Amino acid sequence: MTTTTASDLELRDLSKHYGSTVALDHTDLHVPAGSFTAVVGPSGCGKSTLLRVLSGLEPVTSGALLADGADLTRVPAGERGVAMVFQDYALYPHMDVAANISFGLRLQARHRRDRQPSRAEIARRTQEVAEMLELDELLRRRPDQLSGGQRQRVALARAVVRRPPVLLLDEPLAALDAQLRISARAGLQRLHREIGATVLMVTHDQHEALTMADHLVVMRDGRVVQADRPEQVYAQPVDRFVATFVGSPQMNLQPGVDGGLLGWRAEDGRLLEPGEAAPAGHLLVEGTVELCEFTGSAQDVVCRDGRTSFTLRQHVGTVWLRPGDPVRCVVAPQRLHRFDRDGRRLG
Amino acid sequence: MAGRELLPDGAGRARVGGLLWHLALCGAVVSLLFAVVWALLSSFRPTSRIYGLTPSWPTLEHYTRVLAEWPVATLVGNTFVMASAVAVGQVVIGCLAAFALVHLTPRARRPVLALLTVSLAIPPQALIIPQYLMATRLGWLNTEAGLIVPQLGSSALAVLVLVQHVRAMPVSAAQAARLEGALPREVLWYVVLPALRPAIAAVAVLVFITTWNEYLWPLLITPRTEDTTVQIGLSQFVTAEGTDYGGLLAASTLTSLPILLVYLVAARRITDAFMQAGAR
Repeated sequence: MTTTTASDLELRDLSKHYGSTVALDHTDLHVPAGSFTAVVGPSGCGKSTLLRVLSGLEPVTSGALLADGADLTRVPAGERGVAMVFQDYALYPHMDVAANISFGLRLQARHRRDRQPSRAEIARRTQEVAEMLELDELLRRRPDQLSGGQRQRVALARAVVRRPPVLLLDEPLAALDAQLRISARAGLQRLHREIGATVLMVTHDQHEALTMADHLVVMRDGRVVQADRPEQVYAQPVDRFVATFVGSPQMNLQPGVDGGLLGWRAEDGRLLEPGEAAPAGHLLVEGTVELCEFTGSAQDVVCRDGRTSFTLRQHVGTVWLRPGDPVRCVVAPQRLHRFDRDGRRLG
Repeated sequence: MAGRELLPDGAGRARVGGLLWHLALCGAVVSLLFAVVWALLSSFRPTSRIYGLTPSWPTLEHYTRVLAEWPVATLVGNTFVMASAVAVGQVVIGCLAAFALVHLTPRARRPVLALLTVSLAIPPQALIIPQYLMATRLGWLNTEAGLIVPQLGSSALAVLVLVQHVRAMPVSAAQAARLEGALPREVLWYVVLPALRPAIAAVAVLVFITTWNEYLWPLLITPRTEDTTVQIGLSQFVTAEGTDYGGLLAASTLTSLPILLVYLVAARRITDAFMQAGAR
């Protein structure tokens, strides 16, 4: 497939209100050209609104929206060079797969005086995209004769056939069952490499976002809280919200100095040998094993100490813990996350 | 009743229930068919025996008289043109309005639908005089335009039904088409209308039959026999000197044939359409 030019996207002080509800609240965001950007956040954080505003389905209340520096804010939905895959795929039920894929191209030819692309060109590109997404055997089927995974691929094919510089994905994996989701995840990443467009994916699943994206945006209450490389967001969450929202199991938090909080990840706790003293400067945590979750390569151990609880990840081959076992573990100082009394990251 | 005892309790009861239900349905069918069959049989009875119950040889005298003296073809033709045009017109208005109210100006939907619902409560007789005056001043007396155009004004029900169907469709397909660069009319034509076909069929049939049976308006606007519809034509058998029951029943039978034919051809589609329309 010919590589498309990717656009970068920029939101400047963008707001979107629905009546008195504020869905986007003076949001600033930069989406790098050619990136696979994932937007995560709890439901109602404004991430779906973000897609609707970017696509042009909804007008903005205030602020500006730019692609490669050009103002898109008032450009109609069909002319933005933005394609979108809807959560329910939104296939045209009475058209077969080939017609679904080629619909946009056929419209384009109808609207243009030079009637481009030609019918031969449309057929060629439909075939090309269908082969890329392994749909070439299904071109004469109608959507109701397809499986969930096939429908998702038709929706993707329909979106990329026009070679859009920007591809928006609204929860593209949510409607698939768990087994299929893993392979669809890889499929999406491969597609991104092949078409080279800027991909912006909205998901409520932080794990999906961490594994797939090369740029991660965390949203809350209509604002962008943090936007960075996923490993950076994981290693240096800017506040308590990001710290607990990104990463599974959740980051452990306990009271720190001056009303602040100390946080540490489950894999950063090291179990002490019986009788071993805590090294200087390390945080010592003690408790009793409450329950154990075996994950295959590790054991996530939920421990309780009075009213607080924490989770410790024990890799297979190390000490195997059982409910009721006493636990003493330490966290190295460079592994600790410190937050002030307002939840903001310190240092 | 030995067989019954072999069945489990529940199955026996279900059978009895099913039987009663079927008996009730048969009763309903018989009571509905009674008048039709009575009319059909009477249309073959000689005038002298038409009120009686005594059996008589069937006769075609009413039919030959009706076919010779009554403009069957003209009346059926007029009615067919009127009913088809009104059905098509109301469906077109309904589709355009439903699309606009759901996809283009959703904010106007609630007030407009409320207005349309209220308009259904106004008896048509209340508006008939101004309507008549307007139509005659437009020179529409005894014309097809006079028969058809004013009846397009009563599209409220078609709009209401079609709005419900358009709303029941997921909006995402229409939005996807918009993102692919489709103009509103293309969204309507390529995405909304194909999915709306069963509802359109239901509304068209409903409007066609209602219009076919319309009496008051055709009576006013087309007083001339050669321009009028079946229902008005039938009333000619009722005169001050008495009612020609034989002629009336024979003419009724003849003019029911086209509608019966529509049903026979489209029965499957019509029931499907009403089932789907009702399910929403």
